[in-house]
Amino acid sequence: MNASPPMAGDFLSLLAAQKLAPFGAPAANAPAQTQATTVFAFHFAAGVLMAGDRRATAGNQIVTDKVDKVLEIDATSLLAIAGVPAMAFEMARVLSTSFEYYRRSQLQPLSLPAKVRAIARLLRDNLPLTMQGVGVVAPLFAALDHSVQPARPALFFYDPLGAQFQSAGYVASGSGSGSIRSILSFQERYGRPKPSQMSLPEAVRLALRLLIVASEFDSATGGVNPATGGFATLRVLGPDGVGTVTEEQQAAWLAEG
Amino acid sequence: MTEEPYRWLEAVANRREYVRDQLRGGTPVLAASLPDGILLVGAGPGQAKVFELFDRQALAGLGHPADLERLRQAAIDAAHTEAFTRAPEDVSLRRLVGYGLSPLLKANFEQIFTAPFLVELLLAEVGAEPAADVLVRLHFDGGFRAQPGGVMVAASLPEPEAAAQAWLQGVLAGVTERAAAAEWLLQAWWVLGANRPFGEGLPAEAERRAGWRAALAPGGERGVELGWLARRGPRAARYTAPTRAELGL
Repeated sequence: MNASPPMAGDFLSLLAAQKLAPFGAPAANAPAQTQATTVFAFHFAAGVLMAGDRRATAGNQIVTDKVDKVLEIDATSLLAIAGVPAMAFEMARVLSTSFEYYRRSQLQPLSLPAKVRAIARLLRDNLPLTMQGVGVVAPLFAALDHSVQPARPALFFYDPLGAQFQSAGYVASGSGSGSIRSILSFQERYGRPKPSQMSLPEAVRLALRLLIVASEFDSATGGVNPATGGFATLRVLGPDGVGTVTEEQQAAWLAEG
Repeated sequence: MTEEPYRWLEAVANRREYVRDQLRGGTPVLAASLPDGILLVGAGPGQAKVFELFDRQALAGLGHPADLERLRQAAIDAAHTEAFTRAPEDVSLRRLVGYGLSPLLKANFEQIFTAPFLVELLLAEVGAEPAADVLVRLHFDGGFRAQPGGVMVAASLPEPEAAAQAWLQGVLAGVTERAAAAEWLLQAWWVLGANRPFGEGLPAEAERRAGWRAALAPGGERGVELGWLARRGPRAARYTAPTRAELGL
């Protein structure tokens, strides 16, 4: 109760002061890690659509097909996780608590550049595990940029060492991201409509089809199978904040095509 | 040596008197549990009276801004550490007050060679149903009282506070809309601030309505501060700070 953080509003400093830092030293003999993924995001007419398959694998084993890899960090931020879930989910939890802690304690929201750097900082803190190859995380981030009026969603991707890059059109990460990037590049250049011009139903349909294609080339990507009720995690970031595309909406809009 | 305990008692009594004297000019804060959530009301120059603590918890207080800030920060630190190390669902007002803020205030108040906290606080936690709402009145000496829902007032003097609370319990019975509740709470705020009685001699409704509007006129030194803990919502964080215009006040 009395330990106050050395840096006002910084939740990681508060945790460190209470000896509760989330990322410790790696074990000498790490067990097999669950990983592999396809997550991506692209601008559509009303904002950003962020999508993720729901499969987690360990080696050639399918661990589960019910993972949510696109996470709401706060009312105006989304994170898509690719890599080792143990580290990625912990990072998402740290970010979510950190952003809300800052907003509540400092009585103002964290700026977009600070949010972007907070993720880079966590990735750098995770560097020892990344270098050992047992804790690699390569996330995607979408958040509202309030420096422009009206506020506009911005997209970022990271390398596992913490380098951050902003993308104008689309981003993708994970083992199935190669084919996704190719198709989105083609669509943005030659598509009619381009993804950035699509309505929400059109964008959802494109996202689901992209995951179907990615799963054909990458066994670690869970596809979309309406027959068995297997859909994706789809979240939207618009000027009003974060929303979720339900499985019922996914089924209806996929069938319309 | 034998008279030391008596000196300590006298010092504590003097301290209590000193704190009450310092708080005398503080403007009250009020809260009411409604069917759709909990409304908190205060009056200040900005974000100075009513604050979000965590997903379902909020704080309103009067007193010295620096002391209010220290306690607000302590509560936010404790809530977020608890949420991170356990889960957000484990953050509860009962534990925040009973094991955090109350012992902190009591220890500080009884250390007679340190400066006391000059605050009176009101805390709220919205539940899944109105019956699960919790309102807590926390005093500068660490003493506290919790109640399930209803109305709660924090003022600098106990008698007017009790009178305002009793009056509000009557007039807010059956009120479901937050705009209507805010109107009643602000009338009580004005009556308390104007040092008028709630029993015989209570100003007429027209005077009360005009009174708080004149005291908190837009562009003036102080404005209406509102906090709303919604009972339901798409996100875990239920607190918003509606504007006066949003409530049509």
